[in-house]
Amino acid sequence: MFTQQKVYHPYVGPFDPCPPVRIKTYQTPPQLYLGFQPPGLPQFPPREALRRGTLWPALFSPYEGRRRDSAP
Amino acid sequence: MNTSVPRDYYQLLEELQTIDFVLVELNLYLDTHPEDVHALQQYRAWSERRREVKARFESRFGPLQPDGAGGPGLTWDWNRSPWPWQV
Repeated sequence: MFTQQKVYHPYVGPFDPCPPVRIKTYQTPPQLYLGFQPPGLPQFPPREALRRGTLWPALFSPYEGRRRDSAP
Repeated sequence: MNTSVPRDYYQLLEELQTIDFVLVELNLYLDTHPEDVHALQQYRAWSERRREVKARFESRFGPLQPDGAGGPGLTWDWNRSPWPWQV
């Protein structure tokens, strides 16, 4: 399933003082790849734009919160 | 006196908030795309629309801001409750 959330796996050493965090997540929203926004992109209707937090669907970036299994 | 606020107080306020959000988005977009005429027309249309909604709101519920542009009110009522955070 396409998601803007990516994961990486930090190195876990044998002498780590705290319990290891095996999965770390980070977001890759569309503006990282968009560069200069082209004119005339399709837009959300105003009320939905307010809900989604952006006027342009191309730039919409949902945030589902930390992955459950990524908690240490 | 604790007057409860009618329903369309919220609807008008939400409409105003929605239009404000669109205006902010277009504002930021136009900052980097000053030559985009379509967006500029859209911005003007929405700001006109906002003026209408603000006028409708203020005619019924009093001024939104104490800038005196509220309108014909004869009483000093901008600080009359309910305040936005009480609503």
